[in-house]
Amino acid sequence: MKLLIVEDEVKTGEYLKQGLSEAGFVVDLSHNGLDGYHLAMTERYDLLILDVMLPDVDGWQILKSLREADKTVPVLFLTARDSIDDRVKGLELGADDYLVKPFVFAELLARVRTLLRRSASPVAELSLSIADLELDLARHRASRGGKRIHLTAKEFSLLELLVRRQGEVLPRSLIASQVWDMNFDSDTNVIDVAIRRLRGKIDDNFDLKLIQTVRGMGYMIDTPDGNS
Amino acid sequence: MRPPTSLTLRLTLLFSTVATVVLLAFGWIIERSIEEHFAMQDIKELKVIAQAVEQSLSTLQPKHDLKRVKQRFDDILVGHHGPLLYISDASGKLLYSSPGPDLSLMPLPAPDQLSQGDIQQWNDSKHNYRVLFQQVAGKTNGPYTVIVAIAIDFHLHFLKNFHYTLWLMVICGIIIMGLMSWIAVRQGHRPLHRIVEQISQISANELNTRIDADTVPAELTELAQSFNDLLQRMEEAFTRLSNFSADIAHELRTPVTNLMTQTQVSLSQARDANEYQEILYSNMEEYERMAQMIGDMLFLAKADNDLNPLNAETIDLKSELSNLFDYYEAWAEECHVSLTLKGDAHVQGDRLMLRRALSNLLSNAVRHSPADNKVAVTLSHVDSDVLIVVQNPGTPIPAEHLPKLFDRFYRTDPSRQRSGEGAGLGLAIVKSIVEAHDGTIVANSDVDGTKFRITLPGFVNLANRK
Repeated sequence: MKLLIVEDEVKTGEYLKQGLSEAGFVVDLSHNGLDGYHLAMTERYDLLILDVMLPDVDGWQILKSLREADKTVPVLFLTARDSIDDRVKGLELGADDYLVKPFVFAELLARVRTLLRRSASPVAELSLSIADLELDLARHRASRGGKRIHLTAKEFSLLELLVRRQGEVLPRSLIASQVWDMNFDSDTNVIDVAIRRLRGKIDDNFDLKLIQTVRGMGYMIDTPDGNS
Repeated sequence: MRPPTSLTLRLTLLFSTVATVVLLAFGWIIERSIEEHFAMQDIKELKVIAQAVEQSLSTLQPKHDLKRVKQRFDDILVGHHGPLLYISDASGKLLYSSPGPDLSLMPLPAPDQLSQGDIQQWNDSKHNYRVLFQQVAGKTNGPYTVIVAIAIDFHLHFLKNFHYTLWLMVICGIIIMGLMSWIAVRQGHRPLHRIVEQISQISANELNTRIDADTVPAELTELAQSFNDLLQRMEEAFTRLSNFSADIAHELRTPVTNLMTQTQVSLSQARDANEYQEILYSNMEEYERMAQMIGDMLFLAKADNDLNPLNAETIDLKSELSNLFDYYEAWAEECHVSLTLKGDAHVQGDRLMLRRALSNLLSNAVRHSPADNKVAVTLSHVDSDVLIVVQNPGTPIPAEHLPKLFDRFYRTDPSRQRSGEGAGLGLAIVKSIVEAHDGTIVANSDVDGTKFRITLPGFVNLANRK
């Protein structure tokens, strides 16, 4: 998977590049709008990450020109400006997602993966599994090692999210927004409590612990060997 | 657009116009009455003569001595101011004519009007006269035609002079009135200029200055008062803003100090990878806290400037709260606090913002509720408004803290500042969201616990407005 980052802030750009490279992506970085635009026009990328505020050509302008040239590559905007108008403008121009600085890196990673997955053809799954954990999506049932586990509706949604994105670190904000539709930071440890309870049901009676805490970033479900 | 004409000019013009109209009317009336007076005087004299003539004619014998008759009429005219008299009998034969202009040349009015004592003005080439025509029945040879005239040149002359003097005075009067009113208006505006001077001297550092309402005229008291109120509000806002900036600086200084100290200490000697990792994790938490505080402050700053657009829709508060209960349930259970919801209500509002406000209130209530208690949310209608009450048991908050609960960075217990309960902006955000929805929020606290009461304009209300 090949990504292009257009970010004029040198330090931010370098860290993003490093982070995304370490997450297994091939990353190109451009520090100004014009170079970024030429790269995007000439090279083939799976995703563009554009800063809105650029010194020469702003992110919107790049996106507009790309869409006019029939480039359908997914675009994720980064911006320090958080107003609904900006967001609407970006999405109207054909941006696929929008992230406000400062953001948690895990959040960016999760969204990048979502966008990449979206561009791949979606498959309607009936069941999900990791190791010996199985989720029956149609009947909302979970079982581990053949043993039925009783979960509340929200616990099931939480587990489904984790299993669907197994191997990915999901930040608390993303979990809150995906499972409970709470799109703002809470100053409570609600997510930690929910995960703890889920762990109690999924992992406590098994030797193989599936739900992992990634300190400072969030939670993920994975097998110890990491081959998900 | 042209600025409106100056007040001084306007008032001066107004006063001058009024003065002009009054003086003109006054002059006109004086002139008319003097003219009238002269006319009455003349007419009275003419009538006296005519009466004497009539009496004389009535005693006139058919066989009269012309010379005696003439003498008799001459006598009548003596003592008056040179009147002229002409008498002819029915056949038109001249009976008497005083020396001077020939009155027989005058156009006679129609005979049937003559007895009425018709009075006319007449002038020959040199003089003006007032003339009385009368027909008098005599003993013989009647009726006689009597014409009496007196010269009125001196009256007319006087009137002409008076006319000039009068109008000169009127014009002078108008000019003087204009000048006086200009001076008076300027003088009258002096208090206004004084106030302007006082106001222009108020700088940002002297917002506590007030205009002394007792030293301004009654008409300006209101202006001074409302200006003082404006100053009051500005001063409050200014103080709040300064305090807010100071608070921000203070709130940011603590995490920055932590980060700096920690980083400096860790760099002071070589450590192994695990230790570095620990330090970075710890830093991460500080960063996250700062990022959240910045986000919250940005939200409040935008709310202050009305920059948070409201996507108004109908919101089922019951289901919204149920979702929030779902979200907080596990956490509340860990805190051994249960959540209850009573009532049902719909409001018009921004879903995300109201959710955020309710979420802040709920987490606040759960956090301050002692274990094995319940947080109760009640929805109800009061008139057309919707009332949301969030109640939690707990130690009463002292009354002096209650109004300040919604202030930014305000904490009832300063020592609990950094016990992981956010930056102290939660309730400030609740308040700004409620106010953005034209609602109000009050807190009260007693032995039964703490209650937050939100009043929002009701759904019914908004539906009726359509």
